[in-house]
Amino acid sequence: MDNFEKHIRENKALFDEHKADKAKLWANIASDLEEPGPKVVPLWRSPLIRVAAGVLLLFGIAGITGVFLMKKADYNMQETIVSQELLDIDMHYKSLVSYQVQLVKDNPKLSDGDKEEFLLFMDELDKEYELLKLEMKKNLDNERILEAIIANYKKRIELIENLLHQINDSKITNEDYDGYIL
Amino acid sequence: METNIRFTHKELVERSKSGDRNSQYQLYELYVDAMYNIGMRMLGIKEDAEDIVQESFVDAFKNLGSFKYESTFGSWLKRIVVNKSINHLKLKKIPIAPIEDHEFYLKEESEENVEAVDIKKVKMGLKKLPAGYQQIISLYLIEGYDHLEIGEILDISTSTSKSQYHRAKKKLVEIINTL
Repeated sequence: MDNFEKHIRENKALFDEHKADKAKLWANIASDLEEPGPKVVPLWRSPLIRVAAGVLLLFGIAGITGVFLMKKADYNMQETIVSQELLDIDMHYKSLVSYQVQLVKDNPKLSDGDKEEFLLFMDELDKEYELLKLEMKKNLDNERILEAIIANYKKRIELIENLLHQINDSKITNEDYDGYIL
Repeated sequence: METNIRFTHKELVERSKSGDRNSQYQLYELYVDAMYNIGMRMLGIKEDAEDIVQESFVDAFKNLGSFKYESTFGSWLKRIVVNKSINHLKLKKIPIAPIEDHEFYLKEESEENVEAVDIKKVKMGLKKLPAGYQQIISLYLIEGYDHLEIGEILDISTSTSKSQYHRAKKKLVEIINTL
């Protein structure tokens, strides 16, 4: 290596006379680095994949609908069973109540005022019963409402029974009286 | 000592490997001017040099995983820029190493001792050289590659690289002497 070459090698930094447009170059580099690596052909562009995806989608929708309908049918069945149970209880108590109400109405020993008062009280319990029935439709599984309905019926029967007892008591009192009736 | 040089900016390189954009930018800032000047010396056109530098940095950052500190990061990056520049010249069908009279330079050219010349004159002389001569002078004297490496880069034999270089140097000195 002669002096000519040595001199150039020793001063090679002097040959770096250009300045790069750093900002512009970096902007391009950074945007290239952001891009996802190798070009990927999207699967959905393949006709076969499109058909397969379509079929899969149909099966999916059919499956979800099927499950939904089955659940609904199952729910309806349950509702029918519970409704039937409720209806039986309702019928039982209703017949009991209406029979005893009739007894009260027909009882000649009760004044019209007493009967009216009793029937007003029964109407209030009727209103409460209607409300409970509405609640029951919203919450079929709610045992507390079912218990409240039964309690409502029991209250009516208890009321009627109490009333009938009162009537009978007064009758007994009258019958046991040994004194003279003027 | 050599190991220390090899591991220059290791931390930056490692963080860049994991995709840390900030570290990549720091490496870019350290090397962009040097790479741009290599591009300019090899290609001579600003836009082409910019394209090559951009592509080289993108390739380097995307393939940083394959960089195993067998050289410095700078040398690794420089080789990418040089290779890309050569490919660019090939695509543009610009002769990389003039082939005229190749076969007639089978024996080593006699070394002619030339004295040191003002660098300004060297720069001016380089610009007046044919493209192929400019590149081989740059690769040997400025980029610091030996003839074996130049042979690999230009896909020519070591002896062709030597003979081409001597002819280029002779021509350069002739031009400088006329300045």
